[in-house]
Amino acid sequence: MRAVVITGLGVIGPQGVGRVPLQDALLAGRPLASPIDRSEGYHAAESSRLAALVPTLDLTRWLPPSEARRMSVPSRFAVAAARMALADAGIESLGDRRVAVVLASAFGALLFTEKLIHQILVDGPESAQPFYFSECVANAAAGRVAIALGARGANVTITQREAGPLLALARAAQEVSEGRADLAVAGSTDEVTPLLHAMLDRFRGTARAGMGREEAARPFDASRDGVLAGEGASVVVIEAEDAAAARGAPAIARIAATAAAFDPTAGVSDWGDGAAPLARALERALARAGCDVTTIDRVVSGASGARRGDRVEAATLAAAWGGEPLPPVLTPKGVVGEFGGGLLASAVVATEGAAFGRLASFGSRDPELAVAPHDGRPLPVPRRVLVSSLAAGGAAAWAVLERP
Amino acid sequence: MGAVTPFGWGVDKLWEGARRGIAAIGPFTRFDSTRHRTHLAAQVPPEDHRGEPARRLSLADRFAVASAREAVAAAGLDLPRFREATGVFFGSSAGGMLEAEWFFEAHIERGARHAKRGLVASQQFNGPGDAVARAVGAYGHVETVSSACASGAMAIGAALRALRRGDLDVALAGGSDALCQLTYAGFNALRSVDEVPSRPFRKDRMGLSLGEGAGVLVLETAAHAKRRGATPIAILAGESSTCDAHHMTAPHPDGVGASDAIRLALADASVGPDDVDFVNAHGTGTPLNDAAEAAALKAVFGDRTHSIPVTSTKSLIGHLLGSAGAVEGVCTVLGLARREVHPMPDTGERDPELGLDVVLGRPRALSRAACAISTSLAFGGANAVLVFTRAEAA
Repeated sequence: MRAVVITGLGVIGPQGVGRVPLQDALLAGRPLASPIDRSEGYHAAESSRLAALVPTLDLTRWLPPSEARRMSVPSRFAVAAARMALADAGIESLGDRRVAVVLASAFGALLFTEKLIHQILVDGPESAQPFYFSECVANAAAGRVAIALGARGANVTITQREAGPLLALARAAQEVSEGRADLAVAGSTDEVTPLLHAMLDRFRGTARAGMGREEAARPFDASRDGVLAGEGASVVVIEAEDAAAARGAPAIARIAATAAAFDPTAGVSDWGDGAAPLARALERALARAGCDVTTIDRVVSGASGARRGDRVEAATLAAAWGGEPLPPVLTPKGVVGEFGGGLLASAVVATEGAAFGRLASFGSRDPELAVAPHDGRPLPVPRRVLVSSLAAGGAAAWAVLERP
Repeated sequence: MGAVTPFGWGVDKLWEGARRGIAAIGPFTRFDSTRHRTHLAAQVPPEDHRGEPARRLSLADRFAVASAREAVAAAGLDLPRFREATGVFFGSSAGGMLEAEWFFEAHIERGARHAKRGLVASQQFNGPGDAVARAVGAYGHVETVSSACASGAMAIGAALRALRRGDLDVALAGGSDALCQLTYAGFNALRSVDEVPSRPFRKDRMGLSLGEGAGVLVLETAAHAKRRGATPIAILAGESSTCDAHHMTAPHPDGVGASDAIRLALADASVGPDDVDFVNAHGTGTPLNDAAEAAALKAVFGDRTHSIPVTSTKSLIGHLLGSAGAVEGVCTVLGLARREVHPMPDTGERDPELGLDVVLGRPRALSRAACAISTSLAFGGANAVLVFTRAEAA
């Protein structure tokens, strides 16, 4: 088992391209929300109106238009973010390294999927375009990244909703630590379409305006009523610590532990109340990796403003800390939104020491929860960061990132 | 093990059908194929026993849960005792897409408000795996792999890694997919579907047939199985995944990614090419896949290639996409345990250019059944290989 480190980060999101816009957005603490297109008629009259949408960006440095033309949006994000991550890691050529690609996606290439279904049902199956089909399979983005990089190691796509990015990080770390790959790129990519947004709204998953409040995701807030649906991609480069040192590359973070569990009390597309077994699974994994909670001085939480999701997240953290006070809890999904990998990139920059401001949307803490989001005061650079992400449906994943 | 396949509900029905060597591919009713280019598929027959309540579960979820329940019962596993150390690794390429299409139809015909939201509740790739984890009450690692046609094999491979690492004592690993118009029209748009039942490794092969179903293996560490006095059916000895990094929808013509995956999986299992007694091939029946796969087998097995029995479960029950690797894993285990390779339908002449010993018409008895491999070669160039060995050999 070799120690593994993150040596590069590529990120595309509602905040823009690369690390700096993300750091700025997290410091400002304002939700990166813009209006979703409601013209398709998918939305009910009383519904959410906002999403953390990626604006029109110039990605040509990372993805020439000739290449982009043949790709779905999640594929574009993933390939551009992967190249950005390698450049960030100071890697110009992969040479003969065996490279693994592990990407997560909650919903895949939805726009192309919708277009293909529309072609089939309305225009007739004979009009289905092969290009849409090959890009709407869930692993298209990972396949595109492999072709772009010449990555011939394991090529895995994990679809476990909110837990996907951390499961992908864990799998990629194992490919390197267990010696099957020399290097891995890991992350997640997603897009928001009007239909997805309307569906999340119909299940009351997204935040709404009302009772004098603006529509906003409010992690751990007493009045939270849903998430801000987001899109984008985050990709990290993972190497063995000794290999990174040998080429003189500075490590951003060591992946000290990863863990996963399941809460069978959760319903379809919902969270449950099984915090106790989730906390036990987390504690066991941390103990095995030699980093129990007393050594953790920062939490990057996947709390997203979901009513039940944040409750089980808070209860799990509280149980894992066994009544001891928690370190500062950062809640980036209040800024970058849910899905699209914003949590992973935010966790990486948090480990680097990025300052997180007070969440502008936060009103009052929920007295039923033992956790409140960080209030924005300046914090020392953390030593060990626990990243937590509980998925609707019951899956849970965690990672511990530490400063090398 | 558990399986729901076009041969019926249960592993016995799968093996009985597979041994008979008559394809379950024909006209189907899952959706109206009138306007599609082809009109055949392998559809799972209606349940002949009391199934899961359908509420908020897609058809793919129900295939998955029924397979998992059969597998757990067959393993004699009192799961609630081991739930903390039990995980679920599951493959699916389309989740509840069939139901999502019904939603779209209602939306198009009658407007948004008349489309029942329940139809898309489980339209997620993680639907089947989550449904299994919920049904058995697992507390451990749950992960859905959606790497197209290699999903099921990759899920089983990921479970093996977790068990070896000591993260879990027990893993339910498999996959599930239901027929839907998206994949049916999609593969047709790629001209990958044969108008008659697929004929893998035959001279006149013209493409694949699509199918549906689920397969689940109960995997345990040897120590855990021994502790509870369970008798292993077979050993999952090794796995690997690689990528061609060549083309989104076509395999590398020389099968380099696939041969690499076979070599790595054999090494992972600490066995050599000479130890392999049969191959449950990916064998889709497309001209390109079968040629690339034969090239990969030749690259690994050399002169032995022409004397290793090769079969394709897809010739009988169609391509099960995200669960293909899982159901083919079940067939590989059964072949080892029962010392025979199930045949492919005896339709069409062998392709002499491939130089393979394909099993046609009737089961092939094996004088040695110590080790077998199952290959999965997917869209996006993703390959996964599983190596199983005979239980007594351990």
